[in-house]
Amino acid sequence: MRRSKRATATVYLLVVLAVLLFMFPIAWLFLTSLKPSTLTFAYPPVLVFEPTLQSYQEVLGQSDFPRYLLNSIIVGVLATVVALAIALPAGYALARMRVRGRGVLRAAALIPQMLPAIVVVIPLYMIFRSNGLLDNQLSLAFTYLALTVPISVWILSRFIEDLPVELDEAALVDGASRLQILVKVVLPLVRPGLAAAAVLCLLYTWNEFLYALILTGRDAKTAPVAIVGFMTNKEIYWGRMAAAGTVVLVPVLAFGIVAHRHLVRGLVSGSGR
Amino acid sequence: MRGPRDRTWAFLLPAYGAILAVVGIPVAYSLYLSFHRWKLTTFQAGVPFVGLDNYIQAVGDDGFWHSLELTIGFMVVALVVELVLGIGLAVLLEQVFRGRRAVLILLLLPMFVTNVVIGLIWRILLSYDFGLLNWLLSVLGLPKVAWLGDPGLALWSLVIVDVWNTTAFVALLVLAGLAAVPDEPRQAARVDGASAWQTFRLITLPLLKPVIFVAVVWRTIDLFRIFDVVYSLTGGGPYNATETISVYAYNQGFASFNLGFASAISYLIILALAFILAIEYRLLGRRAT
Repeated sequence: MRRSKRATATVYLLVVLAVLLFMFPIAWLFLTSLKPSTLTFAYPPVLVFEPTLQSYQEVLGQSDFPRYLLNSIIVGVLATVVALAIALPAGYALARMRVRGRGVLRAAALIPQMLPAIVVVIPLYMIFRSNGLLDNQLSLAFTYLALTVPISVWILSRFIEDLPVELDEAALVDGASRLQILVKVVLPLVRPGLAAAAVLCLLYTWNEFLYALILTGRDAKTAPVAIVGFMTNKEIYWGRMAAAGTVVLVPVLAFGIVAHRHLVRGLVSGSGR
Repeated sequence: MRGPRDRTWAFLLPAYGAILAVVGIPVAYSLYLSFHRWKLTTFQAGVPFVGLDNYIQAVGDDGFWHSLELTIGFMVVALVVELVLGIGLAVLLEQVFRGRRAVLILLLLPMFVTNVVIGLIWRILLSYDFGLLNWLLSVLGLPKVAWLGDPGLALWSLVIVDVWNTTAFVALLVLAGLAAVPDEPRQAARVDGASAWQTFRLITLPLLKPVIFVAVVWRTIDLFRIFDVVYSLTGGGPYNATETISVYAYNQGFASFNLGFASAISYLIILALAFILAIEYRLLGRRAT
């Protein structure tokens, strides 16, 4: 379509405006994290200053925050690896094998994503409480399967559906078992699907807050819970909070850039079909 | 297609067993709890069956209705704003311009930001004394605003934050929908003398209905259950002004430690959400799926 010069200028203007509006809060967090502590509460807000890593040194060198980051990583990686391992055969079965109630099973994989977290976490707390499972990285990772398994089953079954079915058929004719087909034929081809699912699982678990808030305490606390802990302290250190927030945000934004297409595609097909 | 020795159940069992264990069983246990009295102060003396008492207490509780009403109000306002802005943004992004791919990714980034970091960012921006927004207002000669401290305003501040967070998501869904809308009817309408707005409203928008329905469903679910951002931004305050239904259930469960009651609230939340989704389906979804 051809546009007049004025229309083109309007498009560019609106695009720049949108980018500025959407990006400035993130940029402001970053700026705040680099300010010397004397300037974080300056008013009017200071835009030009000599950046310092002081806040990062405080958060990463003089607090327990690195431990909570490590907790986040451990729990996220565990929940992701286990989810991929068990979702791959399920995704394969849904895509390729004769499954009674396939539609119901597909829908069942969506329900956990639709339930409000508070509904699941209240009974989980009760169960964990009476079995001594609270404040434990392993048990938290186990509950995170509620986030990671459904999305992985969904993505992997879609990916496998898109692979040429002739490969399976040829292998079946040659007398291969389903397990052999899954490991030798499908697994090498479905790697992009595994990567997409892994990125989303890591994103979800890294960002998760409510489960961790309720199910962990001093030992297994994750980074988001620790950040909120900083915020409700009597003395508020914006610089440190901003540095901690930035540290949490950097991997998320990197992953978001990698995964944005899959996420949207998953959601569109997820509720459309 | 069928293999010789298919053991389909063995492929499905680990994943669905896990879902059952971490979602199905807890949610079923919650139903059991909702018919019992479990309080931190009394549970050691026993957890008696109390029938519908928890539900009756909830329905008679002003705090519950207050939370439900403000959650629905917040949801409707945020949903409408996000839809309108999201559709507008999608139309803008459908245009051809340089750097379009990069712009798409940049606009999507707020959607990935960790929820509690969203709370943190906007606490800094909306601070009454030192915040950037109040400074911008003062530059324009306007008075400072207590974004988070004024009970009449805090919920609106939450709407602003959520719009920032998720409008791009709506836009991206609609953009995917626009890509699937054929060009011919639109061009034909223009040739026949329809204005750009008429073409959009009478031709494009009806064709977008299915994808708008999907956006409405996902946004409804997320808005109705909002917790993290509220907890980290306002804590439900000031004076319960932002105590959304999830925050209310959390407070009943983990501030009052009245977990039988909180379980009953959980089921009322599920019921309310199902009811809202059913209404939306009647209004929008019928021919959409």
